[in-house]
Amino acid sequence: MTTLAWWLIRAQFRTRAAATCLSMLAIALGVALGYSIHLINEAALADFGRAMKVVQGDPDAVIAARDSSGGVPLATINAIARDPAVLAIAPVIETRVRIGNTGTPLRLIGLDVFSAAAVLPRLLPRNEGMTGGDIFGGRIFASPALLDRLGQRPGASVTLWRGDQRWQTTIAGDLPATGPDDLLLVADIAWVQEHFGPPDAVSEGRIRLAPDTDRANWRRDLAARLPADLLLRAAEDDQARVSNLSRAYRVNLNVLALVALLTGAFLVFATQLTAVAQRSTQFALLGVLGLSPRMRLLQVLLEGLAIGVPGALGGLALGYALALALTQRLGADLGGGYFSGSAPPIVPEVAPTLGFLTLGCAASLAGALYPAYLNRVQPLAQALKVGFLQHHRAGVPSHRRWRLPLLALSAFLMTRLPPAFDLPLAGYGSIALLLVLGVRSAPLLTQWLFGWLAARRLPAAQQIAVQNVAQAPLMAQVAASGLIVSFALTASMVIMVSSFRLAVNHWLDHVLPAPLYLRSKATPLPQDLLAGLERADAPFARVERMAQAALTIDARRPNVALLIRELERNNPAARLPFTGPLLTPPEDMAVVWVSEPMHEIYGIEPGQRLRLPLIGRVVDVFVGGIWRDYSRQFGAVTISRDDYLRLGGDFQPSDLALWPRPGQESAASDWLAGWTTGYGLELTDGIEIRHLSLSIFDKSFAVTYALEAAATLIGLFALAVTLAASVRLRARELATLGALGFDRRMLRRAVIFEGALIAAVGLLIGVACGIAIGAVLTHVVNPQAFHWRMSLAVPWLTVLGAAGLTLLAAVVASAYAAHQATRLPTAQILADVQ
Amino acid sequence: MLTVSGLGKQYPGASRPLFSHLDLGVSAGEIVALLGESGTGKSTLLNCIAGLETADSGSVGIGPQGLDIVRLGETARAALRARCIGFVFQAFHVLPTLTVAQNVALPLLLSQVAADEHVGRTQALLERVGLAGFGGRWPASLSGGELQRVAIARALVHHPALILADEPTGNLDPRTADGILSLFLERVREQAAGALIVTHSQQVAQCCDRILTLTPDGLV
Repeated sequence: MTTLAWWLIRAQFRTRAAATCLSMLAIALGVALGYSIHLINEAALADFGRAMKVVQGDPDAVIAARDSSGGVPLATINAIARDPAVLAIAPVIETRVRIGNTGTPLRLIGLDVFSAAAVLPRLLPRNEGMTGGDIFGGRIFASPALLDRLGQRPGASVTLWRGDQRWQTTIAGDLPATGPDDLLLVADIAWVQEHFGPPDAVSEGRIRLAPDTDRANWRRDLAARLPADLLLRAAEDDQARVSNLSRAYRVNLNVLALVALLTGAFLVFATQLTAVAQRSTQFALLGVLGLSPRMRLLQVLLEGLAIGVPGALGGLALGYALALALTQRLGADLGGGYFSGSAPPIVPEVAPTLGFLTLGCAASLAGALYPAYLNRVQPLAQALKVGFLQHHRAGVPSHRRWRLPLLALSAFLMTRLPPAFDLPLAGYGSIALLLVLGVRSAPLLTQWLFGWLAARRLPAAQQIAVQNVAQAPLMAQVAASGLIVSFALTASMVIMVSSFRLAVNHWLDHVLPAPLYLRSKATPLPQDLLAGLERADAPFARVERMAQAALTIDARRPNVALLIRELERNNPAARLPFTGPLLTPPEDMAVVWVSEPMHEIYGIEPGQRLRLPLIGRVVDVFVGGIWRDYSRQFGAVTISRDDYLRLGGDFQPSDLALWPRPGQESAASDWLAGWTTGYGLELTDGIEIRHLSLSIFDKSFAVTYALEAAATLIGLFALAVTLAASVRLRARELATLGALGFDRRMLRRAVIFEGALIAAVGLLIGVACGIAIGAVLTHVVNPQAFHWRMSLAVPWLTVLGAAGLTLLAAVVASAYAAHQATRLPTAQILADVQ
Repeated sequence: MLTVSGLGKQYPGASRPLFSHLDLGVSAGEIVALLGESGTGKSTLLNCIAGLETADSGSVGIGPQGLDIVRLGETARAALRARCIGFVFQAFHVLPTLTVAQNVALPLLLSQVAADEHVGRTQALLERVGLAGFGGRWPASLSGGELQRVAIARALVHHPALILADEPTGNLDPRTADGILSLFLERVREQAAGALIVTHSQQVAQCCDRILTLTPDGLV
């Protein structure tokens, strides 16, 4: 049997080389995309985890303030240090400084060299002849990567800047255990505390427990005793937080890769179905000679596997190469903006590699399943006499018609389900059901359309086309299905992206009211600058200041941004784009306005009273409303500067929105130029930010467009393959028509008309499904995966234009099939006995 | 080699059975011609005997053990065909994607004959049908007569107990048909197989050991 299977597979590859290779390529593409995304993300996460380990060491627990502007009191650190279960606790103060006028602020970590040796060994400076406490001596150590970046060597004298404060110090040496991407400065904790504060607290305490301690119990006991503004994290919390940072984005990319794999499976389906149809007489003969039905089924599955295995192996190689190329060119970020642009090493692991190989083979097998079943159930005697018998009737039997509304209802109900594991799994399920609904409704529309056409008086060629489709409903349905699936996915992405882009555009109108923006990136703006802006001769009509901090609400989730803005407590809508009602807060209570992602992730509602970790304690605040934010995926809380100051906060602005006086725009730019160069500040105008934002938006969807274009091409190819096969199956009928007086032009016209009709049915359903799937992507997948909401806006011109172009391409594909069908002389076809 | 008893078949929707209570026997080495007008059910009878269509009643015993193909499941029917039956069709049905030798070897593969015997048996039979040296050629390069010789070799290569032939010379010119018929009968007799040949040709029927005619009233 193996010999026969091998003979037939080889024959199949020889006689249908183009279709088989394209099916392989489609499978390879799906596997390559999924595998490269997996490799890049694993590399990025591993690199991020490694960098985190350098800075954080390998502690059993970390104690930190929930508010980035707060700290852990020294008394708490000392109390924990006295716990017999604690082997060591390394207090750390972390802040951001600039060296010279470098644009990017650098991490300065203050540590105690004795405790750091136990918990943070990778941050220890190179110790050449220096001992004990005088290792720092008021100097700093820089990582080799930073020394390279600065072009400095140990012994160099440097100026540290923070705001408008400066400190002169010396680079005493390097940090040999840090990585090639780690830009770090390390100094003695007392020195950092003296210059940057806070005086009686530290940023974090990193704890190493005694080996026999029950870590989970210890953490639980301590967490229960801690004040609410402090948080105790475990190492696995940090890993989860890093993973959660890009999880939805990764899943979304993987779903796109699955779509590519699905189209690959569909191409295998079209190729195998046409192969089965064309070889039906041969399979019938083999059945007559004694090939059992089970073996006939297995043969087609084996042929599917023969496409899947090389396809998946090629996909793995391509995926690896793609991952290498992308990380070398673009870093490990994949356009999501979650990781730094470094190029981490790509390390394939056995289990996921085998997993992707299996996925590719499974997709190919799934594509071959139905053709294999059809091959199994072909009645031998009839198939031997008249060829492939199509079991599926064109119409949907009336007793099965209730399935269509049921599918539609199920798809709708799935959109109402909440996310599972923070992912829109039900939303993806609903999309799959909508595709099935589209494919299943094709026979109904075909029946209606062709029934209507059959009753019309048509020219002979067109009449033949209508009858041909009626006689080959399965082939017509397969050809239409390819277009339904590919066009629905393409249209849905176009609709979602267009809706999103429109929403971002409107949002930018609201959040970028000023002509100029100045920011200092995580360090406070110089006081001199702020004072200068207050002066009457400053060329600015209006200046709005903002400070930022980070809050940890959940240790396993990324931080939430705290935005302290100069807003009118009673009129925040002047600056924030609210999505719903704005509630008046009680007079005696601070009010915050939460972003839409924060509302989605933490379920915070307007009118709710919230306990927020602010300024080193927990404060009761009133939620005044929800505002739209497309820039901070993990949530943001806005509080007015006045409320923040009233609560006792220290307002240190880092961002400015500036309105130059009319006619003084150029003077304003000149006025700011001195500050930007002197302090490494970033000055941009509103139009530039808008262009940059929209260009980042477009880039992040570029991969999506490429995938959808590939899907449409595959759909068109499936149409051409299926149509050509369908026509070839009827070669004798067409030849007979030729003998009866149809000239080649008429025959070609009939085939082209047939292809155009099938494509029209596919595109009509594809557009309808595309709009429905676009709505699911916009209203379900986006809010659940990325916590962004927007209105649905169908770009009719683009969608209908794309449908028109696809129809045109389908006509070209049909012309190819027509040419194939009519190229052989009529007499030869009629005389052909096999 | 073949024992048909009380066989009956009626298609759904037909007003009367195509045939009923048919009895027929073919012994080893015996060649029987089956004549009849179009529509009387000759091909259907052949299909029922081969287990390609299901009879409504009766039994069909095939091979030395007389296994009843009507009572067997689909897979067992296929295995019985592979082991005990050889087929020759009017339309040749030679697989265009396999070489001549591969086509001939198909029944050996399907009846689990040891692989080391395949080449020898295939070559020997190709020589016996006058196609020595044709093994590596593709069917597209062969004439009708040559294709039918390939089909005959394929029908005999696994030494089946029964050969079923449906108009084996129907697609050939009279001179070629004569040659092919002689060759076919000679090889069948050489292997002492039983054969049932469906034909419209009196000339073919005359060459057989026994002639039966299928009429609406039964076999005559």
